[in-house]
Amino acid sequence: MAAPTHSLDYAGCNFLRQRLILATLSGRPVKIRKIRPRDDSPGLRDFEASFIRLLDKITNGSRIEINQTGTTLYYQPGLLHGGSLEHDCSVLRGIGYYLEALLCLAPFMKRPLLVVLRGVTNDQVDPSVDVLKATAIPLLKQFGIDGESLELKIVRRGMPPGGGGEVLFSCPIRRVLKPILLTDPGKIKRIRGMAYSVRVSPQMANRIVDSARSVLNRFLPDIYIYTDHMKGASSGKSPGFGLSLVAETTNGTFLGAEMASRPQGQGTAVLPEDLGRDCARLLLEEIYRGGCVDSTNQSLALLLMTLGQQDVSKVLLGPLSPYT
Amino acid sequence: MEAKDPKKHRKKNSGPKAEKKKKRHLQDLQLGDEEDAQKRNPKAFAVQSAQRMARSFHRTQDLKTKKHHIPVVDRTPLEPPPIVVVVMGPPKVGKSTLIQCLIRNFTRQKLTEIRGPVTFVSGKKRRLTIVECGCDINMMIDLAKVADLVLMLIDASFGFEMETFEFLNICQVHGFPKIMGVLTHLDAFKYNKQLKKTKKRLKHRFWTEVYPGAKLFYLSGMVHGEYQNQEIHNLGRFITVMKFRPLTWQTSHPYILADRMEDLTNPEDIRTNIKCDRKVSLYGYLRGAHLKNKSQIHIPGLGDFAVSDISFLQDPCALPEQQKKRCLTEKEKLIYAPFSGVGGVLYDKDAVYVDLGGSHVFQEPDEVKPTHELVQSLISTHSTIDAKMASSRVTLFSDSKPLGSEDIENQQFGMPKEEKHMDLKTGRVRRKAIFGDKDEESGESDDEDEEEMSECDETEEEEEDEITDREHVTVKVIKRQKLEEVEEDIVVDLPAFADSDDDLHRSAEDEEETSESSEEEYTTVETESDVLESRAIGESSKSGLLEANGLSDNLNPEKSLMLKKAIFTTSDSGHYTAEEAFASEDESEENSFLSLKEEGTEDEDFIGEKRIKPSQKDSGQKLGPENLTDETSEVEYLFKEEDYKEEINSSTETSGTLKWKEDLSRKAAEAFLRQQQATPNLRKLIYGTVTEDNEDNGDFRELGGLFHVSHPDRECKHKGDSLDCSKFFVEAPHHWDLEEVMNSIRDCFVTGKWEEDKDAAKILAEDEELYGDFEDLETGDMHKGKPGPETQIEGIVEEIEPKPEESANKKHMDKKRKLKELFDAEYDNGESTYFDELKGEMHKQAQLNRAEFEDQDDETRVHYEGFRPGMYVRIEIENVPCEFVLNFDPHHPVILGGLGTSEGNVGYVQMRLKKHRWYKKILKSRDPVIFSVGWRRFQTIPLYYIEDHNGRQRLLKYTPKHMHCGAAFWGPVTPQGTGFLALQSVSDMMPDFRIAATGIVLDLEKSITIVKKLKLTGFPYKIFKNTSFIKGMFNSALEVAKFEGAVIRTVSGIRGQIKKALRTPEGAFRATFEDKLLMSDIVFMRTWYPVSIPTFYNPVTSLLKPVGEKDSWSGMRTTGQLRLARGIRLKPSKDSLYKPIVRQRKHFNSLHIPKALQKALPFKNKPKTQAKAGKVPKDRQRPVVIREPHERKILAVLDALSTVHSHKVKKAKEQQHLQNKEHFKVKQKEEEEKRTQQKELRKKIFRIQGQKERRNKKSSLKGYEEQLK
Repeated sequence: MAAPTHSLDYAGCNFLRQRLILATLSGRPVKIRKIRPRDDSPGLRDFEASFIRLLDKITNGSRIEINQTGTTLYYQPGLLHGGSLEHDCSVLRGIGYYLEALLCLAPFMKRPLLVVLRGVTNDQVDPSVDVLKATAIPLLKQFGIDGESLELKIVRRGMPPGGGGEVLFSCPIRRVLKPILLTDPGKIKRIRGMAYSVRVSPQMANRIVDSARSVLNRFLPDIYIYTDHMKGASSGKSPGFGLSLVAETTNGTFLGAEMASRPQGQGTAVLPEDLGRDCARLLLEEIYRGGCVDSTNQSLALLLMTLGQQDVSKVLLGPLSPYT
Repeated sequence: MEAKDPKKHRKKNSGPKAEKKKKRHLQDLQLGDEEDAQKRNPKAFAVQSAQRMARSFHRTQDLKTKKHHIPVVDRTPLEPPPIVVVVMGPPKVGKSTLIQCLIRNFTRQKLTEIRGPVTFVSGKKRRLTIVECGCDINMMIDLAKVADLVLMLIDASFGFEMETFEFLNICQVHGFPKIMGVLTHLDAFKYNKQLKKTKKRLKHRFWTEVYPGAKLFYLSGMVHGEYQNQEIHNLGRFITVMKFRPLTWQTSHPYILADRMEDLTNPEDIRTNIKCDRKVSLYGYLRGAHLKNKSQIHIPGLGDFAVSDISFLQDPCALPEQQKKRCLTEKEKLIYAPFSGVGGVLYDKDAVYVDLGGSHVFQEPDEVKPTHELVQSLISTHSTIDAKMASSRVTLFSDSKPLGSEDIENQQFGMPKEEKHMDLKTGRVRRKAIFGDKDEESGESDDEDEEEMSECDETEEEEEDEITDREHVTVKVIKRQKLEEVEEDIVVDLPAFADSDDDLHRSAEDEEETSESSEEEYTTVETESDVLESRAIGESSKSGLLEANGLSDNLNPEKSLMLKKAIFTTSDSGHYTAEEAFASEDESEENSFLSLKEEGTEDEDFIGEKRIKPSQKDSGQKLGPENLTDETSEVEYLFKEEDYKEEINSSTETSGTLKWKEDLSRKAAEAFLRQQQATPNLRKLIYGTVTEDNEDNGDFRELGGLFHVSHPDRECKHKGDSLDCSKFFVEAPHHWDLEEVMNSIRDCFVTGKWEEDKDAAKILAEDEELYGDFEDLETGDMHKGKPGPETQIEGIVEEIEPKPEESANKKHMDKKRKLKELFDAEYDNGESTYFDELKGEMHKQAQLNRAEFEDQDDETRVHYEGFRPGMYVRIEIENVPCEFVLNFDPHHPVILGGLGTSEGNVGYVQMRLKKHRWYKKILKSRDPVIFSVGWRRFQTIPLYYIEDHNGRQRLLKYTPKHMHCGAAFWGPVTPQGTGFLALQSVSDMMPDFRIAATGIVLDLEKSITIVKKLKLTGFPYKIFKNTSFIKGMFNSALEVAKFEGAVIRTVSGIRGQIKKALRTPEGAFRATFEDKLLMSDIVFMRTWYPVSIPTFYNPVTSLLKPVGEKDSWSGMRTTGQLRLARGIRLKPSKDSLYKPIVRQRKHFNSLHIPKALQKALPFKNKPKTQAKAGKVPKDRQRPVVIREPHERKILAVLDALSTVHSHKVKKAKEQQHLQNKEHFKVKQKEEEEKRTQQKELRKKIFRIQGQKERRNKKSSLKGYEEQLK
């Protein structure tokens, strides 16, 4: 018999996503103990369970064992299968939570992945779909994962707590990744953004744009922030608004920042002007950190670098985010 | 006898040869009257048909592109491993002789017995490893996978043998290495013509197998039992200059052809249990790809193992250093074959005796545990305690250095670099361990500690083994050396050291050791050996001293920081002293800040450590020295304080200047510092312990890097229940409204200030300067790719000393370069094809790869990229079955094949398979078959299937005879596209072809969807019109419910559908059909039943078999073999026996139409009542005429006459017909002529008419015009 690959043991639910992703990619089983053992509601949360379900959907032959309280998880990864599927994400976390994982896994599937994710497209915790679309997709292209089928489309927007957003993500498969050489971030030549508002006055978006521009115009004239007001069925279930900004450099590096309004019924409402200004400052902060890859995508870039060929890849990063 | 004058050579004056010579002579003089044909006769080569030309052009292009290979990144190491030359052939064909001859040719040494691979230097840049391959199929398969070049020996007097073809087939499946045929036994032919013919025949057959034009070598005849020198020399030349195309599998997997094996198991364990699992070290050149420590390997014939330790050794058969000479000196013609006992080395357990036959020295490294460095150095210093204290400070210092990742690695697994020293008088080799100076970083990552702990234990065990071994050795050595005096000295010295040593060990390892006496013994032995060694060498300790002295200078600020931190974490006392040190320093703001932060980190780390492993049972190498420093107390610290002060100063200065000059906020400084501290840690974390997965990175960075995180947050992290989010939340945002903060990032925008070489304005100016009134053509673009720093430095230099001539010169050069660039841009673009671009890209990448690690030494390099091919490595493997060691046979190759990430897993593998056309039988589903896929050989139970047009995978009982089919089995997953071959058995020597099937891996799955057809039958028990009740198909109503709506059919082809279950009888149902059934009909339903694949995977463990029986491995037997062995006859069911088919004649009744119907029918369809011809009435009956003989004669004559007449008439008619035909033809011709005449006539007339008319018209027009005028 082949020597049984001993499983890796972890405690705690932090980096659950990364652990499971890496386990899937490396094919090693993982056991995670002590998931919120002292919490009021011990064990896995809904969004984590949903994530595990998603993993189960995209793989073939995974074995998942969760004990009764949900505090222990054993995951024996199967083969990454892919195909077209749909998934209802938990509304506790944004779609970004799930999408980030899919971005890591999608190029290594057996069949091209085409997935429809439903849930919250923009929230305050996770990187929103807009930012991922603007920053992660170009990053994937750097690795040679491109073509027509690499697509991230926001069909509907959904804000917390109701959700109701829908995102279409498709990614081709690649056998080998190109080595990258990103050591010179270049200069920022343009800033683009997307101010969205759903189930609120369309004026909100314009107010956000104005305030954000007021901050950024001092640095660069080439700023364009689109407003995106979704109506009717494509506006999800809850009201909200937000802004995502992306700075593009001369060398094709994308740095993103974003902010979203507080979900309805949680705390005081945010003024769109404040939000716009803060978001612009976040972008400046991101620019200040530097690097050829922004802080949200650091781990993705590093992961794809390690999974590439034997060739040397170089990337310049800003200060590492806690996630990476 | 009188000496006869030899006949003089006469030039040929006529004949083809003479003519040829003449021609050549003329051509040499350039007087050749015959130009090439194309010039002479251009018409013959002119374009006849555009289409054909296009086609031929296409064809040539096709052929050209066919020759292209997809460019791959060149990953060949600078010093490639020896080329594996497999000498293969059936028995008694002269393999060993050839190898011996080749070795003699290259090394001038004669090997009497060759066991295992032999490595030798064959040229200035090439080494060869020659392996002999017998006709054991296991060996053939294994060696085909690692071979770079195959020498196929063919007995010309016999012809090709099956082994040759089998080997060729194996090669085809596993990637085709270079193959060169060698014909031997050519002296068996008596007649030259026969020899020629045979050569030609064999050559052409060989070409069809390999490729047309494949090299086939002829070794004619033997001289004194050896092949002729000249021929061998030629063959050797061929081998040395051969080029190789990299094979996919080989380049993507690391592998080692082991040329040395040693058993490292504790002898005590073996004594207690002879069958205990062994620990084995294997040596060999690493080939293929980079190998990382702790990775999985597969040893074909043995199984899967994890590398427990790997280290690189000095090359035992090194290439000569670069020199200008054309050929090698005798000294450089090294040979290395430990299995054969060559290389001037003899093994005696762990000691090595070198036979100094030649003047060159063979260097044999050995394991010395670095953990003993301290001990050794302590013992080996022959001096007073005081002196020792002084020196021990140094040694301790070197150990108390913060542990670096590499060092941790090294100390645990790696073997130190070793050097051989020859005692010229005695001729004894001494082994000296040289440790590279290691700056160690303090890793306070807890997970790592845990790992280290386990590994430490291992190493300790090793040590013990080592020590026991060494005891013998040293004793021997001592006897040889006769150094009683020294021994005495040691004895005298011993107690003092032993105690301290003990203590040291205890504190370092924190472990209950065995009994004191044993320990003492062990230390004494240690000391003995060490002293001996140190006496002989006497340099190791010195070098250590030097190292340590120079350390403080060498340490760069970052590392010193780390170092300091390590001390902090060790103990309170250390902490205290360190703080003192800080206090004594100038109280500048940044320093205090720094120290505070240090404290913080230290505290946190402590918490972390305690939390995760409160027992603190570390015994780790890292903590060991720290504890040690504890005990040896503050004296050392006092010594070191000064150093620290300096270091801290320098570090703070460097970081501080950077910080304060920028005039940023305190936070920025903090971030910077954080970053600085995080970077070395990262390096360590990622490459330090190789086995650790990336998963750990996150945690580590948390612990090592982010110190500013507040405590509750940190605890939350430790608890591990923090929010899993990739966003980087900003704790303290900058005030972006402030002007100076804004200025800090202003340069990041295109509107900001550009770097010197990229500033558009500057470039413009420069361009103008160069070109005068030129307009800028492609300004910014030209310079973009240039690396910043160099040019910057240049710029600075220029600024400092702008010599006029130099600058002018530079300007000139610049101008030249620019012009060249322009020229290149203009002329090169058109010619570069896609292929060239791709090639260029690959080349660039290869160079980048090379450049990245070029300047680093091997130790560090190994941690970054793994052990690179070309290194001579030593791999330790644990838990090897004892049979491997007991039944070790060097003739059988031991290959260590590295496995990819997922290749260690098992799953379902689907492959496309075709029975080999030379294999006599077909394969049966569920019969165990031995596959060779990837590195592995294993037995498994495949199922064969074929894919239907709708994608259904239908089970087959047997493989098709001449067609591909699918096969699925449960076994190790191998990447798609890997070739495989199947054997029915590896044991029995059958005369037939042994390879049963070949194919390719298609798909890897965790589930399988092979189905087989299942027909459920039932019988109608009640028939209505189109509805019937059917029973016997199911057993319960539930089953029926599951199949409601399913299509059913009768044997006669009436289709129907299941409707609903009936209450009684159980399992009966109502069904409707398109027609009424008969009671005799059988109804059936076709269903598909998924089959499960037996999860049987049995690696072929042929290496475990006793010597001489290695080719007799037999695994699971097929049922057929079992039946044969047991003499069980199969009792087939009677129904399935074939009987002669007896068909009954079908009797059809005559059609009977009722009278009423008959009446109603139209007349046409009415049966015609033909009244039967009744009997002829008597009166109409005519009497029979009976002729007389005479009449008969007349009749006969008449008959004959009439026949003749009719024949005549017939003939005449035919003739008439022919005549008519001819006449008709003539007539037609005439007619035709007439018609043509008429036609022409008519044409003439019409022409004339037309002319007339035209003339008329013209005249009329003229007239008209004239009229107009």
